[in-house]
Amino acid sequence: MGFGDLKSPAGLQVLNDYLADKSYIEGYVPSQADVAVFEAVSGPPPADLCHALRWYNHIKSYEKEKASLPGIKKALGTYGPADVEDTTGSGATDSKDDDDIDLFGSDDEEESEEAKRLREERLAQYESKKAKKPALVAKSSILLDVKPWDDETDMVKLEECVRSIQADGLVWGSSKLVPVGYGIKKLQIQCVVEDDKVGTDMLEEQITAFEDYVQSMDVAAFNKI
Amino acid sequence: MAAAAELTLLEKSLGLSKGNKYSAQGERQIPVLQTNNGPSLTGLTTIATHLVKQANKEYLLGSTAEEKAIVQQWLEYRVTRVDGQSTKEDLRTLLKDLNSYLEDKVYLTGHNFTLADILLYYGLHRFIVDLTVQEKEKYLNVSRWFCHIQHYPGIRQHLSSVVFIKNRLYTNSH
Repeated sequence: MGFGDLKSPAGLQVLNDYLADKSYIEGYVPSQADVAVFEAVSGPPPADLCHALRWYNHIKSYEKEKASLPGIKKALGTYGPADVEDTTGSGATDSKDDDDIDLFGSDDEEESEEAKRLREERLAQYESKKAKKPALVAKSSILLDVKPWDDETDMVKLEECVRSIQADGLVWGSSKLVPVGYGIKKLQIQCVVEDDKVGTDMLEEQITAFEDYVQSMDVAAFNKI
Repeated sequence: MAAAAELTLLEKSLGLSKGNKYSAQGERQIPVLQTNNGPSLTGLTTIATHLVKQANKEYLLGSTAEEKAIVQQWLEYRVTRVDGQSTKEDLRTLLKDLNSYLEDKVYLTGHNFTLADILLYYGLHRFIVDLTVQEKEKYLNVSRWFCHIQHYPGIRQHLSSVVFIKNRLYTNSH
């Protein structure tokens, strides 16, 4: 979490990309999250970072109500995209970990030199251990049957929606349309998943979330590779 | 969406409980509201503005003179360009213009939520619902604005919620 160093162009770039499809840092109303990030930015972002600039001007217009915006101001490192390394030094969780719970860090953004050095050492050890992990990863090939509501459902859109599901360890393969009767066709699509990272439950949840197109999803075949 | 249905949605989002009866006039089904003691009001934006004043929410029409003008500008845009379009080309031009307009604004008037946002949301809903993932990404600012308005309390009601995918699938530039 976090945007990196918000006083640097790289940090502002992360902020800009994050805000491309969002009006606020968190949720759909201005909150203390926006105040926290606003105060960390040293001034209006340059004009080529149009989303960051839009957000900046918008939050600036709430200048007078800053204190009364909802939410609690948390450490800067807790906001922003989930896959950016937290460089503010206020959390000790491994940035590659999705886990937000900070077991070792304190609420105080200030950290003593000693504690910081120790934490860096421990992180370095953990990283090197992780890097030595065996290259062999368990994979499976899954054939999914995705059924639409009726014969008028746009199967091209349906396939697009299914393929839009992205996850670490998930690769989509070939697909074909199989008629099941009454003009209705189901989409049979192949995918290769890493067993540790992706499960059929998650796939089912995400696919059936496209309620407009998908009536149901079944696993037609499941083979270990 | 039929004009009468849209005005009923607007009434609910403004917190008006009355439920006026609207009739339709002419070939293009322009809505008409018969007021109790006064003249009949014709036209979507006219009736909408009247409802806002009835609900005592005049701030939705803009606070400064410029803001009020911008609200009117977008109401006019809604009726002439959004409702009046016929081809896919029209829709593309419209979305392109709207996308570049919204680049530096959170709401249509800039920083404040107004009637313009509400009516443009209702007007565009039937088109946004049909956009492909690629198009939603192409018109990123429109998607951002639309997603924001549909989460605004009391606006979406029974209309379907359009899904906007968080990961950028197609391009990195816009």
